[in-house]
Amino acid sequence: MAGGGPLTAVPPGVAVVVGAAVAAALSRRAAHALGVALTAGTLLWALVVPDGVFLSTNFLGFEAVLLRVDGFSRLMAIIFGLIGAAAVVYSYASDADGIQTAFALSYVGTSVGAVLAGDWLALLFFWELMAATSTLLIWYYGGKAIRAGFRYALLHGIGGSLVMAGIVWHYDAVGSFLFSAADGITAGVPAVLVAVGIGVNVGFVGLHAWLPDTSPRPHVAASVFLCVYTTKTGVYGMYRAFPEGHLWIAYMGGAMAVFGAGMALLQDDMRRLLSYHIQSQVGYMVAGVGIGTALATSGAFAHVFNHILYKSLLFMTVGVVIYRTGKERLKKVGGLYREMPLTAVTFGIAALSIAGFPGFNGFVSKGMVIGAAHKEHLDALWWLLMLGGVGTFLSFIKLGYHAFLHGKYDGPVADANRGQSVAMVAIAGLCVIYGVYPDALFGLLPGTKSSKYVALPAAGAKYTVFTVDHLVEGIGLAVLGVAGFAVLKKPLSNVSVVPDVDALYNRVAFYGTRGVVVGVTELYAAVDRAVVAAARTVAGAVRDPASAVTAVARPTDGDRSGTPASLRAGIGTTILVLVVVVALVLAALM
Amino acid sequence: MSESYAVLLVAVPILGSIVPLAGSLWHDRLGWPVAVGVSLAHLALAAGLAVEVFAAGTVVYELGGFEPPFGIVLVVDGISALVALLVGVVSAGVLAYARRAGPRGNSFYSLYLLLLAGLSGMTVTGDAFNLYVFLEITGLAAYALVATGDHGGAAVAALKYLIIGTVGASLYLLGVGYAFVATGTLNMADLAEKLAAVGYTSPLVLASFALVTVGFAVKVALFPLHTWQPDAYAEAPISVSVLISALVSTVAAYALARLVLSVYTVEFFAAVPTARTMLVGAAAISVVAGSVLAVSQTDIQRMLAYSSVSQFGLIVAAVGIANRAALVGAVVHLVGHAVMKGGLFATAGVVERTTGARSVDEYAGLAERAPLAAGCFAVLALAMVGVPPAVGFVGKWYIVVGAVEAQRWAVAAVLVVSTLLTLAYFARLVERMYFTEPAVDVGEPAGGVPTVPDGGRSVSTGMVAVVVAATVLAATLGFAASGIEALLEPTLAALGVI
Repeated sequence: MAGGGPLTAVPPGVAVVVGAAVAAALSRRAAHALGVALTAGTLLWALVVPDGVFLSTNFLGFEAVLLRVDGFSRLMAIIFGLIGAAAVVYSYASDADGIQTAFALSYVGTSVGAVLAGDWLALLFFWELMAATSTLLIWYYGGKAIRAGFRYALLHGIGGSLVMAGIVWHYDAVGSFLFSAADGITAGVPAVLVAVGIGVNVGFVGLHAWLPDTSPRPHVAASVFLCVYTTKTGVYGMYRAFPEGHLWIAYMGGAMAVFGAGMALLQDDMRRLLSYHIQSQVGYMVAGVGIGTALATSGAFAHVFNHILYKSLLFMTVGVVIYRTGKERLKKVGGLYREMPLTAVTFGIAALSIAGFPGFNGFVSKGMVIGAAHKEHLDALWWLLMLGGVGTFLSFIKLGYHAFLHGKYDGPVADANRGQSVAMVAIAGLCVIYGVYPDALFGLLPGTKSSKYVALPAAGAKYTVFTVDHLVEGIGLAVLGVAGFAVLKKPLSNVSVVPDVDALYNRVAFYGTRGVVVGVTELYAAVDRAVVAAARTVAGAVRDPASAVTAVARPTDGDRSGTPASLRAGIGTTILVLVVVVALVLAALM
Repeated sequence: MSESYAVLLVAVPILGSIVPLAGSLWHDRLGWPVAVGVSLAHLALAAGLAVEVFAAGTVVYELGGFEPPFGIVLVVDGISALVALLVGVVSAGVLAYARRAGPRGNSFYSLYLLLLAGLSGMTVTGDAFNLYVFLEITGLAAYALVATGDHGGAAVAALKYLIIGTVGASLYLLGVGYAFVATGTLNMADLAEKLAAVGYTSPLVLASFALVTVGFAVKVALFPLHTWQPDAYAEAPISVSVLISALVSTVAAYALARLVLSVYTVEFFAAVPTARTMLVGAAAISVVAGSVLAVSQTDIQRMLAYSSVSQFGLIVAAVGIANRAALVGAVVHLVGHAVMKGGLFATAGVVERTTGARSVDEYAGLAERAPLAAGCFAVLALAMVGVPPAVGFVGKWYIVVGAVEAQRWAVAAVLVVSTLLTLAYFARLVERMYFTEPAVDVGEPAGGVPTVPDGGRSVSTGMVAVVVAATVLAATLGFAASGIEALLEPTLAALGVI
């Protein structure tokens, strides 16, 4: 089953990871060139590779598929490759060194590996590696990123373990790890374990604290990578686990959309604000997967695609602001429109895209998810998603207003340099193209998988982008946003740091762990005293077997000067033992 | 044509072994080139045989054209083809190592080729008495090779090996005699049928099984019949240690598996569960006892020797469990252990030549003095512990899966614990090598480095290449495990293994 020609001889994720290892040894320029080649290669590969199952193998007695291409994995690979290339160019322009980009590439490679895996075991393998490589990418920056990286690794370790427990249970029920063996994950406990485990990656409300915790801390170029891969691989995994959707997941998506946008509104740190919006936007995707109809799933994946474009663009533009000014907080910047017009304009495009203004790509895909909720008569969900939309407008008006319009920045600031501009303008262009001409994206959307699922633009999933209703919806949200900002501007600027759930569970974890540690330590100390005595005896025997044997053999003999007893059996003893063994075996068998 | 590969596999080294001795009349440096030529021919034959077996199934060769139940046959199935290939590869590697490391002289290479012939014969024969003959050829060559060490300890070790090994082989012969009395045949396939006809619970059959397995337990060196083995491994010249630690017990374990599966068959175990329980139990005891003894050693080579006692316990336990997963594990671990243990001895030899270190304490800070050797030693040791994805992990994994499938929980537990015990003695070494400063300045002992035969301290490219190749194989062979599993499928099916 390993057919498919040279295109499918090696999983591209593995190729990228190997390339990352090579890049680590190269000069900065060569490492980035290799990075662009690898990610662009992934993009081209994803565009031409045929559908199918490749590299089936048998791993430790389990069937495993290292490469499986269908509409969903292809879409993910395309956008991962595309944005990877742009992000590497941006990294190069933003003075990232070769090692950091090598770590980033290994993170890209493992994510690509995960979305192209054909069974749960392979997916989990890349999933865990993805957590590890992204942790390394965060750690590489040092400083505050170190502790954030530990929290990130801990939470993702727990999430990965839950997923593992879920799929082992699933294996027990189904008898195979292959995606093709079952329609999604087995219902019941395994489904809950997998949903919560993936929930860490996509940032379920309550499990999301790693997002605003980690994204603001590393290098600005590292943030561009971090905002893309982990959460979107999570959305993809969620779809694989629940191809038919699940209502609770849909409502969790709605809650994420509102909670994320609401928290974002209260932030002052620019990248922290953007990271809450990852949660909010992923909420739309999770809602789409959760609704599970043809239109909703298409919308979810269209939103994955669009979101990756505009979110990475947002992190790039904000990154340029930080790169040029060295300031992380909104209160410290302002009036930058005059200083860096290109950055301001591309930021504007990204902000209108994420907010879902007509003519920009967010409008298309967000509209599809909202439209699906409407068609299924999930009114509460519809309201949640709309409310999230208002929040998004509000917070981006806030971000744009304070960063670029309000006030005046002291001293001159250079605009984005050439490399950064190339990456930003290219992505901004795509945001507009996919917004004005949505059919370009619909052509990429995946084909059938679940029984309920039909590809756009087939009959079951008809969705017209530019209808009067939709335009009213989009513009209405914008108007509400502007009006809201006018009212809330004053109180919002008085908000200082807002605690999130991590304030609670960092404390619970800290004091809980300390309690456990103290308890265990006391117990351990008691056991320890007993064990140390025993271990000393054993260690003595190991270090000097001969005298230990002598001591046991002649405990009362005060005179140790004689020849020590030997553990080594002589010829005679061995033959005696041999005869005894033969006799015993014969006696037992007869 | 391809059937004759099997007989050539034995005949070529036997005939070749005469050449260096006879050639001594003219030239005293003839041994190595002759051995290389013969060994490469042997390797090519083994490879050709393996290709043939995996393409077209079991190869049978009737010696002299006599009909099977009366004449002697050579039978090569998937397992024997793999073992023959292993013998070819490892012995060729040892030649690369021995050229510099010694011992030198034509007689050594004659013995080497004789050992190669004996091992190949044990691997391919389909006749129980013929197996005894090759067992003795192997044994005699091995005793003499151990005795080539040029100090008194080697002679004593060889004598011990000789006496105990011969008693073991004699027990096997006695067992074959009982089987012959019961059935009137010596052909393995024929024995399998006639033993079933006589009845597995007949005292003759039971006695023959007991004597055969105990005889081979001596040759495999299971606890407590292992006592010849640490002395032989530690006292022999290092090239000989590499050769016999990688191959002699390995082929003996293969022969034991062959007898259990092809002569007594799995039906025998079904009829006499006590036999299986005893075999598996003895193996499990060997696993634990070997590890404990290894932990208590201070000499590296003795530690490695006791480690073999433990690892062969694993393999024999898998043979006793005798289901598909366990047997695949046994074969993978047989091959993997040969590579890892041979590689460890080869590395120990390189370390001894470059730094003079022989004991656990002397290995302290080795990473700085001999970084390549220390790195290889660490990788091989971790592979032996069973760190994925090394071959040691894969073999143990299959054996544990087999034990679990057979619901032998105690065995599965022992296997898992054995990993910890293996970790105990290897982790100690890795820690010494990488994280401990040398206690005293051991760089240059007062009297110089203990003299090695041929006086050299130098390490040849060949020696380093063998060490590195073994390390790379140990780290990567595990990926071939699923391929091996597929290749063995027809053989295991033919053996009636479920």
